[in-house]
Amino acid sequence: MKRFAIAPHLIGLYPLGMMTIFFLGPLAFMVVVSFYLRDPLGFYKVDFVWENYGKFFSSFYYSVSLRSIWTSALASLLTVALAFPAIFIIVGMRRKWQLVWVIGLLALMCLSEVVIGFAWVILMSESAGIPRLLGWLGLWENPRSLSPSRLAMLIGMVSLGFSLVALMFYPQLSQRDRAIEEAAQTLGTPPAKVFFKVVLPIFRPALASSLVTMFVFYLGVYVMPTMLGRPQDWNMSVIITDKAVEQANMPLGAALAVIMLVFTVLLIGGFALATRKEGAK
Amino acid sequence: MTGMLKRLFLWTIAAGLILPFAVVFGVSINAESNIAFPPTEFSGRWYMMLLTQSDWLIPIGNSFTIAFFAALIAVSIALAANYVLWRLNSGFGRAIFALGIGPFLLPPIIIAMGASVFWAEAGWYGRMEATIISHGVFFVTLPLVVISRGFAALSDDVIDASRIMGATPWQTFAKVIFPLVAPYVVTGYVLVAIISVNEYLISYMVSGFAVETLPIRIFNNVRYGYSPVVASAAMGFAFITVLSLLALSMVTDLLKLLGARRD
Repeated sequence: MKRFAIAPHLIGLYPLGMMTIFFLGPLAFMVVVSFYLRDPLGFYKVDFVWENYGKFFSSFYYSVSLRSIWTSALASLLTVALAFPAIFIIVGMRRKWQLVWVIGLLALMCLSEVVIGFAWVILMSESAGIPRLLGWLGLWENPRSLSPSRLAMLIGMVSLGFSLVALMFYPQLSQRDRAIEEAAQTLGTPPAKVFFKVVLPIFRPALASSLVTMFVFYLGVYVMPTMLGRPQDWNMSVIITDKAVEQANMPLGAALAVIMLVFTVLLIGGFALATRKEGAK
Repeated sequence: MTGMLKRLFLWTIAAGLILPFAVVFGVSINAESNIAFPPTEFSGRWYMMLLTQSDWLIPIGNSFTIAFFAALIAVSIALAANYVLWRLNSGFGRAIFALGIGPFLLPPIIIAMGASVFWAEAGWYGRMEATIISHGVFFVTLPLVVISRGFAALSDDVIDASRIMGATPWQTFAKVIFPLVAPYVVTGYVLVAIISVNEYLISYMVSGFAVETLPIRIFNNVRYGYSPVVASAAMGFAFITVLSLLALSMVTDLLKLLGARRD
């Protein structure tokens, strides 16, 4: 009865082929193009130069890289700090209210960055948003628009990633074993202390992994920095797009993307290794 | 006391998530032609413009066409990958599955940059088919995970019954497996379609200059001076997204699908 099943292998060739050609293929070709020479009249000339990578080692890209890392770290920390307790409360609610939250969060997750960014632009504008309200209440003498600014960009990023983190934690928090918490509560521990001393330590690995995921996610955001940030707030993603599309310098854009790819893979791989070691202990 | 604090915290977050859209809604129904809030006079003319002017209708059409076919591609890949993993449960199946998780792990800018040079080289740069295939391949992760829940819920009894009664593997798939995983397939399809309609960066870098999608249109409008039509487009987006999810929640148990505790 046990024999080599041909049909499933043949079927497997379809997803394998599609993912290899259209997912791995472009990534591999991007590495190739990063060594090409820029052609001001077309896309690029076939060549093998390190020039595009050489450009990375300058004070401009140094500050852009630092800024990207710093902004992503801050945004991911803020997002997880807000979303985790929120979902912790939500899973304790009645099923009907959970569904309302989940649909709302799913809608936000699917909703375009462009739409969320635009909504914040309006909310922070002088003519229609918070500044106008504050001015009308007499709390702000001459209100000015709050965006573009670094704060506006951070708020936009957090509101973009919030739903993602919340939905990542939803199954874990919903299915968690509540026995220890209940035991602590029966012994008279106040709920806030249970949260900090029992729930947070249990979820430490999950929290760490969500921080890494969100850090990588925020490294790649493009719309929020361009819509809500000033040019001096722009991250590496904006610079890559700017070089590749606006300045038609695909080899340089590719080289920068490869550097980011290597950084991301090292980060994820390093984290996976660290958690495996911890688990083995 | 803590109950109060909890509620206050949740309401603050809800306000932060909803407030921007409340203001955009206000702008979209305001008769004034500059962006202003609160509305002074109500009017539906921005929505009319959205649905009658060709410079909005073309991006809307493009977005929906891309989403329709991209979701088909993504779901077909996800279904095939899950079937193979379920039938073989070998390294081959697991490798395909892992490959499907890949796009989710990388920042979209890297994927978009890769797609951009790839299609430039292939000569499809600026064509809608390129955007469709890229969307279909890159959004495969979500249906992959969703459909895997469907396969995990399959009980061996029905499969054995079908085999013992002499069904070929294809018949078993068509008459037993597919009907059982169909709700998950539909959910995956709808989710990919929604995400594709909303996606900006990949569409922009693959063929943004030639195939204008709705997010590209909105983005360009916000960047280079805008009218309240953008607000009505943004609201239209939000409505369609919420409505599709509501419809989905009628067909499947969304909470269970997202991994809620059974009770």
